[in-house]
Formats: sequence, structure tokens, C-alpha cells
Amino acid sequence: MATQTDAESDTGGVMMRDRFVKRVGEIAAGGFVLAIGGLLVWILSTQVDYRLLGSPLIAGRFAEAFLLVVQIVVVSSLLSVSAGLLIGLGRISTSPVTGRIAKGYVEFFRGTPLLFQLFVIFFGVPRLWATGEFPIQNWAVPAAVIGLTLNHAAYVGEAIRGGIDAVPDGQMEAARSLGMSRVMALREVVLPQAWRNALAAIGNDQIILVKDTSLLTVIAVPEIMSVFRNINSNQLDPWTPLVWVCLLYLAITMSMSQLVNGLERRSDWGSDSTMLGRLTRGSGGGEES
Amino acid sequence: MCVTDNQTTSRRQYVAALGAGSVAALAGCASGSGGESEETITIGSDIPYEPFEYRNEAGELIGFDVEIAQAVFGDEMGRDHEFQETSFDGIIPALNNANFRVIMSAMTINETRAESVDFSEPYFTAFQTVLILEDGEIGQLDDLQGETVGVQRGTTGEAAAEDLQSDFDGELTIQSYDQVTGAFDALLNNQVSAVINDNTVSASFAAENDSVVFLEGDGVAADRDDAPDYLTLTIEDYGIAFRQDDDDFRQEVDDALAAIREDGTYDEIYNEYFDG
Repeated sequence: MATQTDAESDTGGVMMRDRFVKRVGEIAAGGFVLAIGGLLVWILSTQVDYRLLGSPLIAGRFAEAFLLVVQIVVVSSLLSVSAGLLIGLGRISTSPVTGRIAKGYVEFFRGTPLLFQLFVIFFGVPRLWATGEFPIQNWAVPAAVIGLTLNHAAYVGEAIRGGIDAVPDGQMEAARSLGMSRVMALREVVLPQAWRNALAAIGNDQIILVKDTSLLTVIAVPEIMSVFRNINSNQLDPWTPLVWVCLLYLAITMSMSQLVNGLERRSDWGSDSTMLGRLTRGSGGGEES
Repeated sequence: MCVTDNQTTSRRQYVAALGAGSVAALAGCASGSGGESEETITIGSDIPYEPFEYRNEAGELIGFDVEIAQAVFGDEMGRDHEFQETSFDGIIPALNNANFRVIMSAMTINETRAESVDFSEPYFTAFQTVLILEDGEIGQLDDLQGETVGVQRGTTGEAAAEDLQSDFDGELTIQSYDQVTGAFDALLNNQVSAVINDNTVSASFAAENDSVVFLEGDGVAADRDDAPDYLTLTIEDYGIAFRQDDDDFRQEVDDALAAIREDGTYDEIYNEYFDG
């Protein structure tokens, strides 16, 4: 075959042939899928109790937990991205005070485990009141939202700082030379570009936030893992509730990826809805907020 | 204060009933168990659960179960043993996955569990009880209707709370914590109105906290001569749990348990933790 002769005349030997490497990759990936798929089929056919899986009682318990997790995720997401924006701006502040405080915030909340932060908020804070005097009765869910927000605001803040840093200095200089103040240049020119740069990292972090809700089981939030643990400890059947757990988390994280993809497409260069598009048409606005 | 001398007496009677048979059985097992006696016995346990298994300030593991284990496995059977910390809600699957040989974790013998594991003869009697704040709003069991109670996940306290929940037509919120200390914290932090848990463990906690008391009232154990003087929801026996294919070993342990009851070691340990 002609192609074979071409390939053999290559200097790099067999490992450098494109087709060979491609085949090896396909075999490895295919083998992986077959092994995992086989294991999955085996588990689904031997380990899962379909009567229990479809039982309305269990479906109801999971549905309740799922709705609670979705609510916690939506609120914590909105709060942590907003707070993260402020922290990102604090990180690039020209004031040494603001900059250092923002840095300290990030170091602390990124440097200690979320579980620790949840324990501080849930077990520690109420103890600042006298026994039985803590005013908030159902503290677990608010504590969860506060913990997730404070923790993920640190990551979002770093993503936004990275996004701002990635905007070439010339953008700011050009805006300043047109007579814009630094704040105005940031808002109108730098931030819209930084937002796009940071979107992937922020989306990544928000998907981690979804998975972090599983930690809330230890502060007695009746979330998805808690339902799994209750069913497993009553029915002594791990695989059946695990199928539910897997599907429910994927339902949230995959919709979240779709949302992030949509936002990225929307803020892509050249798209009419972007700041750049609007600026070139001379109709600047604040739609990115 | 949680357990009277009557309990010990009833234990002695129980021992007397078992005593005769166990001597013969002990003699039998001494010759028959040579094959595996080198292996260290690992004991799965949910720690802390004061006064059954918990760590003192130096971090040493102590407690009623810990000393019974030493008496049974160490002194009677001459075997090395070690405790392995595990989470209570997954403790039975972990036993059946061979993560450890037995469970000693203040575990109540009940039918659901007995479907998956085999239990030793009972070695302790406990009652499910309701712990409340002294100056709180709960004066009797019915006051809990519409309130929130804290329990440890996977325990018989949780099961008792679920029974209470159906008595109240669902008007009871149950918060399940990983460790019983989380539920106790929740009581102090105004997150739950009561904690439903084994009397002995709750008594340890109440002894350390002046603001925490047992809910008073006549419970299921009111007719018993070893009943505590506060409300009891259920009467439960603790047992050591074994895998279902571990019958010979279970028999050895039952014999050793009977032996320590007979020679007074059991009472000594019991008095150390519950009569002082």
C-alpha cells in the first residue's frame, strides 16, 4: 500500500506513525469502554433490586432531597459568583489594604477544607450563644448556603482575577487614553473580556459546588447522600440507591455544563450579543451583569 | 444513676443459667481452634460513643466495650485484638465485606440486623430514651409532635424516632447525624428539641451538661425492676455481631462472655462504667 510505504519512510519509526498511534488510542479507549460497560451491565443486572429502585417511597425521598439540593445550589451559586466578583476585583485593587484582605480571604477559604468551614458555621457559631438560645431553628440549610458561598467565592474570585490578568494591558491603556477612568475602563472594556476568559473556570467551580453539597450529609442536611445512607443502612443494599445518587448528581452537573456552554457561546467573540459586538455598533450596555 | 444494682443481679441469674453448659464448651474449643489463633481479631466500632467506646484526653481508647473486648478476646481467648473505627450507618456492610471480624459498637440485637449478621448472646441491656433541655418547652412525649428530634444515623434511636414519627402521623422531623455527639451539639445549639438515643450514652452526656435532662414519664420498661426512672421508648439488648459463616468463632466468644460473667470480671467492668 502506498500509505504504508510513506509511513515507513518516516524518520521516527513505528511509534511516530500517525495511524499507528491513532489505532492504539482507539484500542485503549474501546477496551476501557468495554470493560467499564461490561462491569456496569453486570452490576445493573445482578446487584440492583429493580423493585426497590422503582419504589415510589424511595423515589419520593430522593425527589425531595434532589429539590433541596437544587435550591441550595441555585442560591449558593448566585451568591458565590457575586461575592467572587467582588473578591476578584479586590485582588486587582491598587489599594494595598483591599488587595491584601482579598488575598487573605482567598488563602483562608481555599486553604482550609470546606468540611472544616461547615463545622465552624454549623457546630461552632451557635455555641457563641447560651445553651438553647441560638435564634435560628433550622440552621443546617442556612449554614450550608453560607459555607458553600464563602468557600466557592474564593475560587470564583481567583478565576475572575485570572480572567482580568489575561486581558492584555493594552486594552486598559487604550481605554485610559480615551479618557476613561480606571473604574470605567474596567467596567466597560476589561471586565466583559475577563468574564469570558473566566467563564470556563467559574463553570468548573460551580460544578464542584454541586458535588460539594454531598458533604452536607454530616451536618444533617437531608440531601442526596443522606437518603442513600439511610436506605443503605436500612435495606443493606448499596447498589440500588447508588443508581439514584449517580443519576441525580449527573442531572444537575450536566445541566450546569450545558448552561456554562451556552454562556460561553453567548459571550464568544463576534457574537452579536457580546459587549464587543455592541460596542462596535456603538450601543454599549451592561447586559453582562 | 442510670442503672440500678438490680441489673447486675439479673445478669448473675442469667450467667447461672448459662454457666453449666459453657465450661464444657470451653474445654472443647481450647483444643479445637488451633488453626487460626495467630490472626489478630479486628473489631469494627463507631467511635466515639461514650461510655462504650471513646478516647480519653490522652487519646487512648477506653469504654465498656473496649474492656469487655480485652476480657473476652485478650484474657479469655488469648488472642490479639484491635479496634477499627468505622461509621455506624455502614457498619454491617463493612463487616460482611470482611473489613473486620466482629462488631462491638453498643449494637442492639434486632430482627432486621439479624437477617444480615449473627449476634452473640446479649451482653448489655439498654433503653431508648429522650434527652431534652431542662428549661426547654418539652414536658412530655406528646409535646414533641411537630418538633424536630436529633438521632445518630443507622441507630435504633433513629428507628425509635421513626416509630414516634408514625405515631404522630408524620408530624415529627428527624435530623440524622453521623455521630451521636453531633445530635447532642444540635440539642445545645437549639437545632433539635430532643435527642433519642440509648440511655447509658445519653446519661454520660447529661452528667456533663447541667442544662440537659432526661424526659420523665412511664415508658415501656416501667414494669421492669431494672428500669431507669425516666421515660423509656424501647428495651434493647446489645450483642457482638459476626458474619453468618463464622459460627465456630461466635461460639468461642459466647463461651468467653459466659466465663467473664461467671468469674466476676463482667461485674467489675460494669460497675466501673455504670455504677459509679
